Amino acid sequence: MNNLIRPSRLGVALVVLALVVPATGREQGPAVEGDLGLPVLRCEIWAELDAVGKTLHGREDLVWTNRSGEPVGDMVFHLYWNAFKNEASTFLREARDESGLFGRGAAPRDGEWGWIDVTSIRLADGPDLKPTMEFLSPDEPANPDDRTVMKVTFPEAVQPGDSIRLHLEFQSKIPRPVARTGYYRNSFFIAQWFPKPAVYVEGRGWNAHEYHLNSEFFADFADFMVHLTVPRDFVVGATGKQTGIRVDEATGKTTYTYRQSMVHDFAWTAGDRFIKVERDFIADDEVTAEEYEHTASLLGLPIEEVKLPNVRMILLIAPEHKRQIDRHFRALRAAIKYFGLWYGPYPYETVTMVDPPFRTRSGGMEYPTLFTAGTRVLTSRHVLSPEQVIVHEFGHGYWYGLVATNEFEEAWLDEGFTTYSTGRVLASAYGPGALPMSFKGIPLNSIFRMPKLYDFEINRAAAINVVPYDPVTTWSWKFYNTASYGANVYARAATLLETLERLLGERTWSRIMRTYHMRYRYKHPTTADFIGVVNELAGSDMTWFFEELLDATHSFDYGIASVSSVEKPRYLRGVYDVDGEKKELTSKRIKEFEAEAASDADLPIQQEYVTTVVLRRFGEARVRGDARIEVLVRFKDGSTETRFWDGQDRWVRLEFVKPAKVDWARVDPQGIWLIDSNLANNSRGADGLRRNVVKLMARLLYHVQSALQFLSSWS
Amino acid sequence: MSVMRSIGAGFEGTFRKRKVFVYLWAVNFVYALALVSPLLALIQKELGHSLTGSFIKAFDIPWLGEMVFKYQEMFPALAGGLAVPALLFVLLFIFLNGGLLGRLLDREGPVTLAAFFADCGRYFGRFFRLFLMSLAFYAVAFGGVLRLLSAGLDPWLENVRTEWPVLILSNVHFLSGLLLLSVVHMVFDYARIVIVADEEAKALRALRLALGFLKKRFFTAWSLYLLIVAVFLAGTALDLFISGRLAANGTLTLILGFAWMQALVVFRLWIKALFFSAQAEFYRMNPY
Repeated sequence: MNNLIRPSRLGVALVVLALVVPATGREQGPAVEGDLGLPVLRCEIWAELDAVGKTLHGREDLVWTNRSGEPVGDMVFHLYWNAFKNEASTFLREARDESGLFGRGAAPRDGEWGWIDVTSIRLADGPDLKPTMEFLSPDEPANPDDRTVMKVTFPEAVQPGDSIRLHLEFQSKIPRPVARTGYYRNSFFIAQWFPKPAVYVEGRGWNAHEYHLNSEFFADFADFMVHLTVPRDFVVGATGKQTGIRVDEATGKTTYTYRQSMVHDFAWTAGDRFIKVERDFIADDEVTAEEYEHTASLLGLPIEEVKLPNVRMILLIAPEHKRQIDRHFRALRAAIKYFGLWYGPYPYETVTMVDPPFRTRSGGMEYPTLFTAGTRVLTSRHVLSPEQVIVHEFGHGYWYGLVATNEFEEAWLDEGFTTYSTGRVLASAYGPGALPMSFKGIPLNSIFRMPKLYDFEINRAAAINVVPYDPVTTWSWKFYNTASYGANVYARAATLLETLERLLGERTWSRIMRTYHMRYRYKHPTTADFIGVVNELAGSDMTWFFEELLDATHSFDYGIASVSSVEKPRYLRGVYDVDGEKKELTSKRIKEFEAEAASDADLPIQQEYVTTVVLRRFGEARVRGDARIEVLVRFKDGSTETRFWDGQDRWVRLEFVKPAKVDWARVDPQGIWLIDSNLANNSRGADGLRRNVVKLMARLLYHVQSALQFLSSWS
Repeated sequence: MSVMRSIGAGFEGTFRKRKVFVYLWAVNFVYALALVSPLLALIQKELGHSLTGSFIKAFDIPWLGEMVFKYQEMFPALAGGLAVPALLFVLLFIFLNGGLLGRLLDREGPVTLAAFFADCGRYFGRFFRLFLMSLAFYAVAFGGVLRLLSAGLDPWLENVRTEWPVLILSNVHFLSGLLLLSVVHMVFDYARIVIVADEEAKALRALRLALGFLKKRFFTAWSLYLLIVAVFLAGTALDLFISGRLAANGTLTLILGFAWMQALVVFRLWIKALFFSAQAEFYRMNPY
């Protein structure tokens, strides 16, 4: 087969790739040290930016290796930019159908469309594949007008273990900013921009989906070498490490070469306004010996395994945000440190943090070794912004970048894990952050004291509200709407992970997360793989947790319906059989007994009370397995009693006989079940109306009075 | 100097007629209480016996999240249910403005309930017609002038290089809106003053006279208006300073906090009265 590269010839291809180096001779060896495994793809791209015409001209050399056990006769590519080509695309149809906030304004304006045309595609040794090119609509409902998934057919199937080399040429029109891609003036953010191969899944074929409004991406690991030609005065940031630079005086253009092994995407930015700042994450300065010891002990690993490497941090920032450089780096250092300690060392040499160019709408997005943050010219020191977005997007380097889950089909595995991890990092590095309050771009947190909250509290508030709409594991574009997608895969998933952490305990949970991460680095795990790790390390089958809370739309709500105490009567009136006779115990006789007992100083009366606590399962979700609902009851004499309920029935009545009345009862006193949709009903006191409730009511009254005064000002 | 003398005399006038604030505060308090009582009952039901009630905060996101989840189906009905009383309150205050202005401008007259409500009734019709006219002015100010301003700025903002111009101009735009609002408010304040002070029988004629009055001394009158706005802002700033210190738990701080909030309500009523009183003095000092 002429068009195939057999394993014996793969080395030749690699040598060829390695020889294609920039003229400066500054090319270095592999971008990443150590064995990162074998990539499915090797990809070299040459791209030239026409900053005036807002176009890209590119060439792409691909070597794809069939790592499945079956022959593959075709290849599927994503052409994501065609989502912005016209309103017939799946992306823009969904945007149009989305009635809420998220869909509006997604479509480019007249004259601002973007697209990508594959002008040539052939095998390396000649055969033209363009005649076989066709567009697919793999998702339901089918959209034959969508042009974001393309297939070519090979003359001969690629056998297992064999490789195939393709040469593509493409031309793209850069859109005005849409879906975190595009240009504004001389600033460009270029993502999902080249013909990107889908992922071949054995037994299932090519895993490719159209570009949807509510979906991100899925791709195979590759070794990239990319040559970017841009106007000379542009500053460039890109995935990987810059290994070459060549200035062409004649054209006034500069070509930068970037390389990175074992990443599944390549994004870049270029603009004439960036300030580029480089600093190093020096592990020895950031992590103390005690922290290493604690982490090693928690994870049950030798200290050497938890040691972190140094990382070159690159920041591209707008001049008007220059004052925030230290803030950006501090957040990034915290992220590198905690993600590294908890889940595994950051394996790449560089990480590039991009302050998104003004109006490119590219903020808050992740790409391998590069992410976009996002800030404003005026910020508050009380609010963790831009810190939150920096930690989150860097975190995706772990949950999406390294553990490369399918964002189309199981978005919770990257967004949920990253949201959960972000909250943990922020809590460790900063503590709770104030809710933002600003008006017309002016932060008001110094004037108004906004509450400080941990991320998990905010996530929970969103999570409980979307439970009835969709299971978390719904495919991205099949959610009820964008709000349900967002709150389910980010907030609810994070809340469930936080719940699981509290349920299993810090030690077990830390080991689960570390094991899952390290076992599936450079792989494409699924929800089942994660559950497998949980079950393996939790010591019990936790599948029920995922079935009940992740795959279902069951609200979780255990609470206390009532608490009450009554005196336990020492005598019960009525007729009793005594020595074969019927004798009546009357009220009068009882009073006599009590009077006698009261007069006997040697026999002090110990009054007892019967306390009844009724627990209810208000929600549909039930605990199963070894899990139990804990109930703590406190009595007026300060004593407490704990009981456990299996939580299967709709309610249970618990009785306690104690020498004191009940003070209060509380379900889940440890606060394990964060996903509980009503924490207020988790406790109930015998006495009503608490001081803070009165305060809350007074405030509410005052706010209504103020609102009325505002209205009256128009009279 | 007439500005400062007007404010001084206006202040004296409001102090002399301080009883009127008791009426207005009582109306505000009772109306608000009636409006909010279902919500207070709801809070009592949800938190009255819960330990959450012991640490609930003023803006408690976790608990608010729970309430949204539990009562989200009720929100549209709640919004509709609040819109009607809100509208009625505007009408009620058009009515009460007659009493407020009538008593303030009757220097020697007593502040009795009978006199207050007699003024309310006397001026309601004319004040209501002025209110309808003011809607047209607001429409012109916000639908016309501000939109024109936006239309002038937007093409330029389309192509700016950084966030700064957007931030600055959106705030300038907002400030322009506020200033425009203050002008419309001021015009109609004087129209009401003309009705009460000159016993003008026609609302439209009162508006025309007010415009004529302001035409000759617009900036002096406006500076008087803005000076009272500054007093209001100073009071609001003081509130931000004080109320933060009344956040601690305790019965005494709870009582003090409640008293402080009600004092603020009265302060705002006083500001409203000061607008009328000081502008009326200014009107009397500058015959035209």
